[in-house]
Amino acid sequence: MTLLRRDPSAPQNWQGEMPIANRYTYGIAGERFFRAIQEEGRIMGTYCSNCDHTYVPAAAFCERCMNQLDEWVDVGTTGEVVTFTHLYINMDDSPKDKPETVAFIRLGDGGLIHRLVVDNPSNLTIGMQAEIVFKPLDERKGSILDIDYFQLISEEQN
Amino acid sequence: MSSDYPGTSLSEKEIQDGTVLSVQDKLLGNFAWDTGIAIGKYLAGFKDGVILGSYCTQCRKTVVPPRNVCEWCYRPMSEYIPLGDTGVVNTFSLCYVTWDVKRIKDPEVPAVIDLDGASPLHGIMHKLGDVQPDQVKIGMKVQAVWKPAAEREGAITDILYFKPIEE
Repeated sequence: MTLLRRDPSAPQNWQGEMPIANRYTYGIAGERFFRAIQEEGRIMGTYCSNCDHTYVPAAAFCERCMNQLDEWVDVGTTGEVVTFTHLYINMDDSPKDKPETVAFIRLGDGGLIHRLVVDNPSNLTIGMQAEIVFKPLDERKGSILDIDYFQLISEEQN
Repeated sequence: MSSDYPGTSLSEKEIQDGTVLSVQDKLLGNFAWDTGIAIGKYLAGFKDGVILGSYCTQCRKTVVPPRNVCEWCYRPMSEYIPLGDTGVVNTFSLCYVTWDVKRIKDPEVPAVIDLDGASPLHGIMHKLGDVQPDQVKIGMKVQAVWKPAAEREGAITDILYFKPIEE
């Protein structure tokens, strides 16, 4: 006899759940970066003169030369669409009523990933210019969601 | 907080009152683990108040929990063997911290118990109960204390704990 059959009355699987709570603080540079968004509606980067590189989001140290970065620069609120994807499915696997677009927008030598609102997704191309739409001042909380979305400003829109 | 260490310290208060920005989130890690053939049978055995091992004819070994393949010769195991619910404490620990890192005064006593009927040095991990922590000894004879039959659900917790018995 070998033990090759399941006992049909045996528990087939063991179910459980693991609660996972997390808290993230932005760090010294991140704190200042998000405060600038919250309080001034500005996107700040840090510039490394050694590497001629502007980090966005702002970083406290240059990851290329390890220099401490204390030259803060306003990189504006418009940038190029570097890449994007259209989302058709919600987090819970249900279909979206209307597809959403998420894009990486170049700011400084870095950039941000965020929602990009486009009227006609099929006309969206890499290289278009997009600008930030902030939430109203009193709704901002010092979070990436203080940026409501990006919207296209290039002429090819629609 | 502490200025004795390099870096920038954070206090709970700074985070609560928003002086320091933070994001908080909760994830729920739901899982279902397939019990497989042998562990399924093992868990089913608990419902009947039996601890099952499995026996390899080739190696003449009885292991617990049961496997369906022998881990020495890789042959299929031959049969399930009901073991005793008594055994000997192989090793133990006095644990003053719960799984979610809360301090406790009365320690939990997790132990590996070599079960009677299994091959030497084959046992399962469980808890000891009905014993003063300073009375626990390696080599101590123990017996399973079961949940009432009606409350058993086919889980390792159908055994509440092991308690010392007279030799």
